[in-house]
Amino acid sequence: MDKLQGRVWIFDDNVDTDQILPGYAMAEDAEKLAAFAMAGSKVADFAKQVQAGDIIVAGKNFGCGSSREQAPVALKNAGVGMIIANSFARIFRRNSINIGLPVMLADIGAKLQNGEVVSVDLETGEIQTAVGVLNGQPLSENVLATIRAGGLINRVRQELNISSGRKP
Amino acid sequence: MNFVERSLAAAAGLQTVTVGQDVRCRVDLALSHDVTAPIAIQQFEQIGVERVFDPAKVVLVIDHIFPAATVQARTAHWIMKDFAAKYGVTLYSKSEGVCHQLISERHRLQPGQILVGADSHTCTAGGYGVIAIPVGSTELAAAMATGTIDLEVPETIEVFMTGELRPYVSGKDVVLSLMRQFGVDGLTDKAVLFTGPGIAQLPVEERMTVCNMGIEMGAMIACFGSETKESNVAESIPLNLATLEPMAACPFSPANVRPVAELGDIVVTQVVVGSCTNGRLNDMEKVVNVLRSHKVHPDVNCLIIPASKQVLDAMEERGWTRILRDAGAVVANPGCGPCFGAHQGLGTERDTIVTTTNRNFPGRMGHRAAKLYLASPATAAETAVLGKITSPGTLQREVG
Repeated sequence: MDKLQGRVWIFDDNVDTDQILPGYAMAEDAEKLAAFAMAGSKVADFAKQVQAGDIIVAGKNFGCGSSREQAPVALKNAGVGMIIANSFARIFRRNSINIGLPVMLADIGAKLQNGEVVSVDLETGEIQTAVGVLNGQPLSENVLATIRAGGLINRVRQELNISSGRKP
Repeated sequence: MNFVERSLAAAAGLQTVTVGQDVRCRVDLALSHDVTAPIAIQQFEQIGVERVFDPAKVVLVIDHIFPAATVQARTAHWIMKDFAAKYGVTLYSKSEGVCHQLISERHRLQPGQILVGADSHTCTAGGYGVIAIPVGSTELAAAMATGTIDLEVPETIEVFMTGELRPYVSGKDVVLSLMRQFGVDGLTDKAVLFTGPGIAQLPVEERMTVCNMGIEMGAMIACFGSETKESNVAESIPLNLATLEPMAACPFSPANVRPVAELGDIVVTQVVVGSCTNGRLNDMEKVVNVLRSHKVHPDVNCLIIPASKQVLDAMEERGWTRILRDAGAVVANPGCGPCFGAHQGLGTERDTIVTTTNRNFPGRMGHRAAKLYLASPATAAETAVLGKITSPGTLQREVG
């Protein structure tokens, strides 16, 4: 599960949380958030076009703005498999990891074609593309542990030895 | 190690830490509010523990939308009330104030202690030396269950302050100047540590204003250290306070900062003074000093929102709320007010708003085309009187 493959969607710098999930969609139930994924961005119909496993490739400061956790939830629920960017706003990056959505630092947007399929190794940071193997920053052991657990809540449950049979 | 690293090492039970190291830190206080708490509570219940790590160290605050402007907002209040009753944690539910101000008054942590808050402006507590980490709801839920947070030790950037502030220049102008320098992502994932002899002029309230906007530059931690130079920082940036002047962040970015004196005539329809950035007693004093002898311009709504009940009580004891109302301002209940666009003073495309808050993104305070300028309370006060953006000190005032 440390290797992912998907079509890439290329975005620019400073994609903020209002582009990822507009404020007007915040009130929607969690299961409906996916329909608004990237609705405030240059690809307003992203939610209709995205396929399971697709990869967002962006520039600097992806996810800047609000601490709203609904933003990465909307992307994950829409099917986005991971996000690669030159840099992330910190709270967005942490929120993504905490809900089990992998994020990787890499400067590759200019080298890719929109829609091409790439393969990413989360452990080594290797990204196989049409122009050869590019290097991203491998995920740290700590982040990988959270991603492998399926998010922070599951990880905490494991660490506290709470079996899946118990509540919720 | 520098102050930030020493604090993280102590909280992790380690002798030393190095930049980039993953550490698990003990949490001294876990904070959330009526926008982030409901999701955090839902996630907490998913974990399946029977108690929070320490009920005395978990605080919930209803500050964002109180009184409830919508049925959904009231539903969030009830979720928080039920959680507080079930787990015995502290809930503030009667407009006691904005969470960041309230914990500084009633749960004041010591320098170097660890605060985790599900709000991006949790960094405000760095004004009194706390290592304050803004997080999302899930991370807060985990912290409430375990009493710990996993962090990567950040690089520390020191801002070494010297020089004497000019009249009418305050903490807000200091941080807006830094926004101009660093931009919206210049400190991403880093800690920023404010030091130097210059910090002696900034009372803790002003220091909280400076740290409050650390997140707008992307910082993971923003806090004040000592008046001496720090050792072992990644970079030390000098800041001569004597060179600063009143500043404003223009539409539509907190980093789009220009000197107020260079803005020209900009007609204003609303002025907001308040929030976790600038809703404290020292901020209110600057407004009262102006409105004691001048009326609010007839075409301006002037909204005053104390950051806490304690601030409001102190204003009343001094007779300030009456002075403000008599001058034509409206004093609202303590809370977040219109800062994040939910209620209590939203604008349309016809509005130009000068506000002492922290963000001026499109739509932050109502319509996406409402023009928002961020400025200090001193600038906001004289702007309210003249109905156009005004450098503080322009009006002749009588301070009494």
